[in-house]
Amino acid sequence: MVIEILLTILLIVVVFSVIMLHVAYATYFERKVIGHMQVRMGPMRVGPHGLLQPIADGIKLFFKEDVFPETADKPTFYAAPIICLVAALTSIAVIPFWEGMAISDINIGLLFILAMSSLAGWGVVLAGWASNSKYAFLGGLRASAQIISYEIAMGLSIVGVMMMAGSLNMSEIVKAQAQSPFGIYAIPQVLGFFVFLVAMLAETNRTPFDMPECESELVAGYCTEYAGFRFALFFLGEYVGMIVMASVGTICFLGGWTGPFEVPFFPIIWFMLKVYFLIFFFYWVRATLPRYRYDQIMALGWKVLIPLALGNVILTGIMKTFVWH
Amino acid sequence: MEERGTAMGTGSTLPPIIHIAQLEKILNLARANSLWPLTFGLACCAIEMMSAAGPRFDLDRFGAGVFRATPRQADVMIVAGTVTRKMAPAVVRLYDQMPAPKWVIAMGNCAISGGPFKLGYNYSVVEGVDNLIPVDVYVPGCPPRPEALIEAFIKLQENLTGTRRFPESPEATTETA
Amino acid sequence: MTTNPATTIRHSLEPIGDESFILNLGPQHPGTHGVLRIIVKMDGEYVLDADPVLGYGHRMQEKIAENMTYSQMLPYMARMDYLAALSYNQAWVCAVEKLCEYEVPDRAEYIRIITVELNRISSHLLWYGAFLLDLGAFTPFLQAFADREKILDLLESVTGSRLTYCYYRFGGVFQDITDSFLCNVMDYIKYLRERLPSYHDLVSGNVIFQHRTSGIGAITCSDAAEYGVTGPILRGTGISYDVRRNEPYSIYQRFHFEVPTGETGGCQARYTVRMQEIEQSLNIIEQAVTTIPDGPIKSKVPKIIKAPEGEVAMAVETPRGELVVYIVSRGGKTPYRVKFRVPSFSNLSIFQKLARGKLLQDVLGILGSLDLVIPEIDR
Repeated sequence: MVIEILLTILLIVVVFSVIMLHVAYATYFERKVIGHMQVRMGPMRVGPHGLLQPIADGIKLFFKEDVFPETADKPTFYAAPIICLVAALTSIAVIPFWEGMAISDINIGLLFILAMSSLAGWGVVLAGWASNSKYAFLGGLRASAQIISYEIAMGLSIVGVMMMAGSLNMSEIVKAQAQSPFGIYAIPQVLGFFVFLVAMLAETNRTPFDMPECESELVAGYCTEYAGFRFALFFLGEYVGMIVMASVGTICFLGGWTGPFEVPFFPIIWFMLKVYFLIFFFYWVRATLPRYRYDQIMALGWKVLIPLALGNVILTGIMKTFVWH
Repeated sequence: MEERGTAMGTGSTLPPIIHIAQLEKILNLARANSLWPLTFGLACCAIEMMSAAGPRFDLDRFGAGVFRATPRQADVMIVAGTVTRKMAPAVVRLYDQMPAPKWVIAMGNCAISGGPFKLGYNYSVVEGVDNLIPVDVYVPGCPPRPEALIEAFIKLQENLTGTRRFPESPEATTETA
Repeated sequence: MTTNPATTIRHSLEPIGDESFILNLGPQHPGTHGVLRIIVKMDGEYVLDADPVLGYGHRMQEKIAENMTYSQMLPYMARMDYLAALSYNQAWVCAVEKLCEYEVPDRAEYIRIITVELNRISSHLLWYGAFLLDLGAFTPFLQAFADREKILDLLESVTGSRLTYCYYRFGGVFQDITDSFLCNVMDYIKYLRERLPSYHDLVSGNVIFQHRTSGIGAITCSDAAEYGVTGPILRGTGISYDVRRNEPYSIYQRFHFEVPTGETGGCQARYTVRMQEIEQSLNIIEQAVTTIPDGPIKSKVPKIIKAPEGEVAMAVETPRGELVVYIVSRGGKTPYRVKFRVPSFSNLSIFQKLARGKLLQDVLGILGSLDLVIPEIDR
């Protein structure tokens, strides 16, 4: 019993460190990838090819002065970034990285992840509220509306997957994909995959849906008043959210840890590659597209994505009843 | 340059009670390699600052490419352009809003001394931004080339870490009699 | 203790009741392109009123002009609008030449046209990048800068500066251009003509860009005429007025170029007009480079210019619109009074009308499409 608890704690520590390392280097790779798409190189001088850049950023942010606006609401101001980060990190617990390897393989894994991503949205809203500054307030309001709208679209896009797999358990979903062409659900669930890709951009507040944080209009949106390490917590929360969403996309639509051939001693390789591809997709979209306007985002979410996702659910139902068995 | 505690940045709240040399070395190294500028372009020099962040002169290579628009997340304030007396309170307020440790680069002749507008009948231009806030690096030029701004960052990094990233050119080091 | 105008809110806005609030897009804001302060009264996300506050970049240019000789004023002209420094150079130099009746040799005129049109392209490229940065896409900004650096290289090889040129002199230009410069210009024209379709691929056809710009910020022809807007904003409404065509100066009559106009007068029309102006400038440069004559580059003018008594008004077309330099001279080495009618001032005047009732994001997009340079407004 005690051994099991100790082993779980060890597992948590290992997974946590790996994820944090990934998050730190996700920021580095974003600057590099977007830099190369923009005819320039990203960080080059801090360590070989800039590889030590995230470490420098992290240390610098950690040792900045802790600035606190006088009129801000203290407990909420402090709690908001922590909520964002914790909600995102908790979702990692239910993601299976390979066969039988998840910190906690619960039967309602997908539902848990959807719930946690709403909590992350709550953190953003709290940040905007607690800062007591108009820019932050506007950012928080926009974030609340956007996250709520796209929650529905994302949930509905996954319903098709749930119907085909017959379970909410993440490992089951991956195993059930073995019967689909190429072993992925992206092909029978094309509509669902498309809606999921768009909704995942909106859930993590990334371009073209980065209104809550839009830099050219709201200065820095909901994190305007945050300095130093608290800002770093928001940053980390955003990237962990990206990794979580990419993992969910991989598991539900791209076949999880399965791959064309077995790689000995490194079963996680296919999962990692697929997650990296989806994260590259995040960066690619950020480098290319301008930003949507607030009401256009709402219109897109409610009038386009939700009907598409509903249509996908109906289609899946029909196909499952009459065509597949 | 007079002692102004550049290594710990101007505007530190309190000097540290205990000095741990090794830790401070690492901190200064980290801070030097991750100087985030504040977008504070006032006039012509702003365009050269934008060019320095552009593809040819890429400031991001040195870790300084993340331009933040809010002073709360910025380390370096690059005063690029002419500061007028109407703008002066805003400059001071922005400087105060930046958390310590913070540095200031005065870019361009106008920020150093008023530049071409330092005239007898001047009624509107602040003759040098160091009348308002403490400046760490002065970059002369009207406007200075983007390479000069990159040199300013390298100098700032040299002030922080003690070692210079690239060797200085021989002409710069020989003093003419 | 007098109140500080920088920190008090002007009383022209109605007192706040109900649920609206005032948002200060302060002098330092990523969306205002310089030191412009806009006091915005908002109701939720909708803008009820937007009041621009000027003066944060006032550098006494007109007073300086009264105290400097005509030659000493040349460097200051470039600092007024640093993105179109050669147009301002040209305005001052042509105004004094008109006043003193100096001749300008042909070769110098051709050189002036080539360099000023190159400057126009670089200004429009920078506007393209900045406008898209306002809308949230930051890759076009860097691509535009990469192409703009090549123009800056060309102009640096001739004038010596990258941004604030001081190349024209009374009676001609400062130094001659070389044949290699002309070859490089022709190469650049070819290069940019091949690059422009990729600009349109990335931006013009993009659905998000079209949603953000079509139908936004439309002004009618009568509005444009009433408020005195000039330049691509005026041409975007459909009125074909370009100082180079309607009141030709220098040798613009010798070149064939079209004056592009839009239809709706909105953000997208202005975008299209400016992109087409880049192509038209390339045409002008090509014609100038192929037909440039040999000859002197500067006619003989006295070292210290004592302008005769009189007044002169010289209008040129800068990338932003019509610039008028009005000099009153009472004899003597310095002018008695100089007045600059800058295009951005009138272009800004229509902003308040356009901003009412729009979403904040649209308001900032409109501000970006107006292509303002604030030190020019504040002079």
